[in-house]
Amino acid sequence: MYIFQCEDSIDGIFTGIYDAFASHYGHKNIRLSTNSHEDMCLFSEYISVRTDIDKSQKVGRTLFKRFGIDFYETICKCALADGSFKKLSMDKANAIYQTIVMAFALPEAEKVLNFLGEPCIACLFELCRQTNNEGHHYLGFLRFFELENGLLFAKIAPKNNVLPILAEHFTNRLPLENFMIYDETHKLAIIHKAGKDYLTVDASELDLTLTRQYSANEENYQKLFKTFFHSIAIEARKNPKLQSQNIPKRFWANTVELADCQ
Amino acid sequence: MITKSATTFITTSATSPALHFSKDLMEKLAILSDAAKYDVACTSSGVNRKGDGNGMGNSLACGICHSFSADGRCISLLKILYTNECIFNCSYCQNNCESDIPRATFTPEEVCTLTMEFYRRNYIEGLFLSSGIIVSPNYTMDLIYQTLYRLRNVYHFQGYIHVKAIPGADPLLIEKAGFLADRMSINLELPTADALRKLAPCKSRHTILKPMRQIQNSIIQNKNELSLYQNTSRKGTNNRFSLTEQSRFVPAGQSTQMIIGATPENDFQIMSVAEGLYQNFSLKRVFYSAFVNTTHNTNLPVLSGGPPLLREHRLYQADWLLRYYHFTISELLSEDRPNFNIYLDPKCDWALRHLEYFPVEINRADYKTLLRVPGIGAKSASRIVKARRGSRLDFPDLKKIGVVLKRALYFITCSGKMMYPTRLDEDYICRNLLSDYTQIPRELREEGYRQLSLFDDVNFGGDSNVYLSMRG
Ligand code: SF4
Repeated sequence: MYIFQCEDSIDGIFTGIYDAFASHYGHKNIRLSTNSHEDMCLFSEYISVRTDIDKSQKVGRTLFKRFGIDFYETICKCALADGSFKKLSMDKANAIYQTIVMAFALPEAEKVLNFLGEPCIACLFELCRQTNNEGHHYLGFLRFFELENGLLFAKIAPKNNVLPILAEHFTNRLPLENFMIYDETHKLAIIHKAGKDYLTVDASELDLTLTRQYSANEENYQKLFKTFFHSIAIEARKNPKLQSQNIPKRFWANTVELADCQ
Repeated sequence: MITKSATTFITTSATSPALHFSKDLMEKLAILSDAAKYDVACTSSGVNRKGDGNGMGNSLACGICHSFSADGRCISLLKILYTNECIFNCSYCQNNCESDIPRATFTPEEVCTLTMEFYRRNYIEGLFLSSGIIVSPNYTMDLIYQTLYRLRNVYHFQGYIHVKAIPGADPLLIEKAGFLADRMSINLELPTADALRKLAPCKSRHTILKPMRQIQNSIIQNKNELSLYQNTSRKGTNNRFSLTEQSRFVPAGQSTQMIIGATPENDFQIMSVAEGLYQNFSLKRVFYSAFVNTTHNTNLPVLSGGPPLLREHRLYQADWLLRYYHFTISELLSEDRPNFNIYLDPKCDWALRHLEYFPVEINRADYKTLLRVPGIGAKSASRIVKARRGSRLDFPDLKKIGVVLKRALYFITCSGKMMYPTRLDEDYICRNLLSDYTQIPRELREEGYRQLSLFDDVNFGGDSNVYLSMRG
């Protein structure tokens, strides 16, 4: 067995796929892994993949052209997912690799995603759903805070790397605002300047004290929203269980209205 | 990835001017959101619209929930009344002219400021503007129109707007507001004309259904015009009208709401009205609002068990069956059996009374047949149809697809085999379904579960009146 160990990112996994195909070891003898700490098996050769943007882009373009946008998006969302999820039957990089190998072998490649009976497709499907669900949650649960200089700042702590989904959404939604979304988990941020496209930046050294300097109006609007939030609830229907089922507690800390209710 | 200091981005951004903020806005918002909360619709769904880059906002057809209030309901829109200084006297409503409550009225500017500032902080998906009747229906509708006009054309707001049509307002005003909104609604309030006469003497079936019909016709007309326009412009004909997004009339469709439990109508009457509204008025949604007695008026029932939430839940489930599962109300209820079974959801209840359709073979049954199996939703049904083209499906595959096997297992076979040996027998299945604690509705689990065990020997599959009489 040849095990290609790649970095846990779209570029890392795509580079791994490129190297695996180029290696000619035969697909049956290859496995991809994003876990660099996995227990080494005897009789296996471990190959460490060095992330390479050119290779990754080549793979991305090929997938897009050969198999269409739906397939490409599913693969990307799977790559963005948190692969450490316990119930998962397969490493996510390997699920992606196996799926692509299968797609190449089929006459109607796009249909590969319907074969939920295949372990790699089931795994892909699960991971993609995970990213989609969390991404969709954050479209609603994310909160911007207005800083002194008018910049809108949001902090999130997602399990999956949902920033690309949020970046697309908010760039279209708030085209004339300066905003920043900071992902605490992955230490990444996207920044958006009014009228421009967004950029992804490394935020491992972000000075968080700056992000707490609110504008003069900020607290007033927070108070207004909290007022609204409390008066819109119907006392006779009170149901805290249903509430925390619908907005899981892990989202509460970064909201305005539920931050002090935890 | 482009690396650039995230910190510099914050320190170099330009300063924006502070907006005017008034103190009593807080008080108004408290009053006018409290006054709006019994309108249950809060969805922001039904329309896909990209922002054009020159304003703020867009819209997703699936809708987005931004938070959930203490009652567990979704908060998607800034749901407020424009005013609660109402001249009408609907006896079920806390804003009626006879109640002694604090009153307030917004200005169009205030509604716009709140909407814009809440929206840019991502608190909300848009605005839901309803209103009590101030001065007259026309006066009120005009204020609503002015507000929407400002929001769309001065503030360039492109997010979701749900607006109420005021019963009795000039059709022209309703028409103008409809071109600025995504969804319009006018509440039917009560299922029968008689109940309306009794509890809402200022309203009538006529003043409610007339604008509903008008909105329906305008939606159809607008769609025809738009497709005509698209066809001619595709052919390259010069068209001097530029049809922008804003020339769409109520693109997310029309909805309405009925109050449940304030008057004695049964489920069959209520659902027949809903079915009629879907068929004859092309409504997108009918909402059901469990009656909360806030006014304690003498002509209203005292609900000792609180609002009829479980009943409301069953009505929503049945509504779902109408809209997505190709059921008709006459299949679910009848004159002799006019109320839903509180222990079983309407689909399960139907299946138990129609065992002749089962078991269904997963690898062969068509989509519509799959939809009728308890435990198989619309998503799972379409996944089954796709997945079985690749290979024969077995029970573990169904689990991956999202089928709720503990409910479905009595009604299906995979390649001719059942999951466990079970009997296709009404009592047997019902008893087994109900022996699973998690399958009992939460409301019953928390309050009435002991009652259920008292009824252990009752024939659950048969005459439903036995347990219906337990409904508060
Ligand atoms: S019209 Fe009737 S339902 Fe509407 S606010 Fe006035 S009293 Fe309430």
